Amino acid sequence: MTELRIGYVPLTDAAVVIAAAERGFATRHGLSLVLEREPSWATLRDKLLLGIVDAAHLLAPLAVATAVGLSPGGPVPLVAPFCLGLNGNAVTVSAALWAALAAEGPIDGPAAVATSLGRALRRRGAGRPATFATVFPFSFHTYQLRAFLRLGGIDPDRDVRITVVPPPYMVDALRAGAVDGFCVGSPWNSVAVESGIGRIASLGCHLMPDLQEKLLAAPRGRLAPSVTDALVAALAEAAEWCADPANGADLASLLGEARHLGIDPAILRRTLDGRLLADRDGTVLADPAYLRFGGDLHRPDPGQAARILALMAEAGQRAPADVAHAEPARAVFDPAPWAARAGCAAP
Amino acid sequence: MPNTELTVAVIDLNPARAAIVEEGLRASGIREVVVIPDTAGLLARLQEVDPDVVVIDLDSPSRDLLEQLFHVSRLVERPVAMFVDRSDAATMEAAVDAGISAYVVDGLKPERVKSIIDVAVLRFNAFAKLQRELTEARSELAARKVVERAKGLLMKAKGVTEEEAYGLLRRKAMNEGRKLAEIAQALVTSFELLE
Repeated sequence: MTELRIGYVPLTDAAVVIAAAERGFATRHGLSLVLEREPSWATLRDKLLLGIVDAAHLLAPLAVATAVGLSPGGPVPLVAPFCLGLNGNAVTVSAALWAALAAEGPIDGPAAVATSLGRALRRRGAGRPATFATVFPFSFHTYQLRAFLRLGGIDPDRDVRITVVPPPYMVDALRAGAVDGFCVGSPWNSVAVESGIGRIASLGCHLMPDLQEKLLAAPRGRLAPSVTDALVAALAEAAEWCADPANGADLASLLGEARHLGIDPAILRRTLDGRLLADRDGTVLADPAYLRFGGDLHRPDPGQAARILALMAEAGQRAPADVAHAEPARAVFDPAPWAARAGCAAP
Repeated sequence: MPNTELTVAVIDLNPARAAIVEEGLRASGIREVVVIPDTAGLLARLQEVDPDVVVIDLDSPSRDLLEQLFHVSRLVERPVAMFVDRSDAATMEAAVDAGISAYVVDGLKPERVKSIIDVAVLRFNAFAKLQRELTEARSELAARKVVERAKGLLMKAKGVTEEEAYGLLRRKAMNEGRKLAEIAQALVTSFELLE
């Protein structure tokens, strides 16, 4: 039995790692997974680079930023043999800001909501600018939040202030009035709605579809090839288990345990089913693509690298012309172990 | 000795720990040590202080914000690299064990940074030890109080002396393989229920 320490941030899309560790998929492949929950992305990244954890549930853009040397501690070539899930983010605004924007005009669809938000913010005038939070500078949350604001004619660099709050602290920040809205992963949007302090303005998948949101990443060479293969096989089986609606109740209660997310399983169940309560008035935003597990989506797609680099450039995080980033970014996404597993599994 | 001309910022929500770290850094010869107690106006404070080294609690939620600030502020012009640069594994591990993360201005001599981190590690660990001792002292005091209370109850109920009451509690604890304070607590609790 090989012991692997895997770090994660408390989010629904850590499901595949948690299920692999807790529902027997890892042991079946000769692995003993020790899970380490971390409060924030910078801490998880540091523990990964220092070898305190062997592999991590990591934001895909953070993995790329580390590999190309944009993030402190890098460049370190990270390699991801498995994508942990597709999508799963949403933009939420405070109840007060929602009331203000709903009074401005239509609220059907992200573009209409963003346009109304733009009107509401202009009406607020030049006082204190509205503050929105993302989970980390290098994250799809940053890029989705910026895209959402632009839909409403809001300049993310000039018209609002964008700050950073780690996912588990997001709801507290909204409650304290430190932020007026945020983009965060499941289940924290739903927790804000459930507490009556926030309203989901848009699902992430309606702003940018088909994002390989989180990767299972490790520094290149850290895991022996045989260990990587076993891990990918275990995660692939766990992913199919997570994707099966028949296991929804079990998965929700597993993730809900205090040592993992510590969230009411009923809330987790709704986000796993892609039926999110957007407002306490009963409005539901439903899309099966909201957060997806199972099938080929777990194959790391090197095509995501160019997309991430372009989004980083749009956000002013890197010079668009820096071609030196292309190759190390692409190398993060390693589909070979997935393909090898698929080959073995073929009848 | 750390370079005395350096400015070190300590970002810590825990004022007691921050004070201990600050004192340690000063004692080691650093004249400019600035404690930033919260994240309100963090960017403005950092620009004002213009630190060469930032020491921050590893698990602080402000760390991610700090990294964002390095990107948007003029601090980018003086690139800030994290101390965690893999060149000195022992120091890094000691820092992480102690719960410290640090950011340093690029180009600072590693041995200077190391001496600062070493001081911070010592102080973080000293603070953790102090807290442990405080917790232990508190629970010891509470235990003594509950034993006193149980003795008093027994003396009244059974008409025994203080010494005999203590003997009864001790015998019970030994027979059941439990702590004296646990037996005393059980007695006090059941007395309160019956009262």
